[in-house]
Formats: sequence, structure tokens, C-alpha cells
Amino acid sequence: MSYQEKNITVSLVNFTLILGFYLIRVFQMIQDGSFNSTNVFRLWGIVITLGIVVTILGTILTHIVSAIIQAIKTKQEPDIRDIQDERDTIIDLRGTKITYIAYSIGIFLSMLTFALNQPPLVMFTLLVFFGLLAQVIGDISRLYLYRRGF
Amino acid sequence: MGKSRVRNNIRKLRFFRDEMTQQQLADRVGVTRQTIIAMEQEKYSPSLELAFRIALVFDVPLGEVFSYDPEDDSN
Repeated sequence: MSYQEKNITVSLVNFTLILGFYLIRVFQMIQDGSFNSTNVFRLWGIVITLGIVVTILGTILTHIVSAIIQAIKTKQEPDIRDIQDERDTIIDLRGTKITYIAYSIGIFLSMLTFALNQPPLVMFTLLVFFGLLAQVIGDISRLYLYRRGF
Repeated sequence: MGKSRVRNNIRKLRFFRDEMTQQQLADRVGVTRQTIIAMEQEKYSPSLELAFRIALVFDVPLGEVFSYDPEDDSN
């Protein structure tokens, strides 16, 4: 598995966990009857901060762990190549495109809740849900492209 | 998706260059070893520039490294 694939796998795991956390919190709020704007926007803040911090930490940890594993395997100075060649760039662009398409569909579905006479809070909750889901779909598509080729 | 229609002789040419490793070829053309592996497995068609760089490393014409299989074009 290349360094880029490891990074994508870490990102996929991170965003899946954050998505799980977000869904659990939303369902808890609905059950508790505390599904109000203050709690929802607080959850927005937590999820966005988690997304940024965990992504940065994940990248650094992947780098360190890869270097340690390589050093143990080869018993030499680790040589982690973080170069992104044309194939990596194309896969990244295709993954980003799929993420945008997924998120665009998500935004459209979120807006539909207005047509169904739902309060704006439902739309805002769905916006973050589809944002996280789009990131997960993008990461899966990147891994798929690395494995299957194109 | 899947197999590319661009065929190549990279594995054979590496063999005739004293079993040049994938990493050595990758370093000389400026890509990752994974990209060389993907090309050898015909899962990735390189850009024209990379194709020329690979031909230059082996010191052969481009057509000797890469060929195009138009089999599926008629479908």
C-alpha cells in the first residue's frame, strides 16, 4: 500500500467515525427532545473542528508510523517518499469531483426538506451529514481507483 | 475502468537492462513505484510526457515501449 493510499485510508476511517459520532448525537438529541438550534450549531462546531484536527493529526501519525514500520522492516534509515506524481494527481482530482457531485446531490436533498415543510434546522443538520458522507464517498472512490486502475 | 488499451513492454525492457528495479525506473522518470506497477499491470495509461521519459530511459523509440490495442474501438 502506497503512502497516498495509507493517507486516504486514515482519512476514510476518521470521517466514518466522525459521521457515526454525528449521527449518534443527532439521534440522541431527537430522543431527548433537545434538538434545538443551540445544540445543533454546537454539534456543527464540534464536528468541523474534529474534522480539521483529526485530519492533520492523522496525516502526521501516518507519516510517523509508516517511517517506523519501514525502519523495522528494512533495518535502515526510513525513506518515506511523499511525492505526488501524475497518477496520484488524477486520482485525487477524480475523487474530489465525486465528492463534489455527492455533496451537490446532498445539498439538493437538504433543500427538498423546505418543500416538505420541515424546519430550517433539519436542513442544516442534513447539510453537515451530506458533507461528511460526500467525504467518505470521495475517499472510497479514491481507494477504488488506486486498486482497480483506470 | 480496469485494463487499459495501451499495452507496454516495460517489464521486458527492465529485464534487458540488467533487471532494473521498478524503484530505479520510478526514480529516473520521477514517479512513484506504485505508478510503475500500475503501468506494468496495464491499469494506468501514462501521459505522453511520462511515456517519452520512459522511452528515453530505455533508449528506444516510443513505439517499442508502448502500443495501442484498438480491439474494442469497433464496439
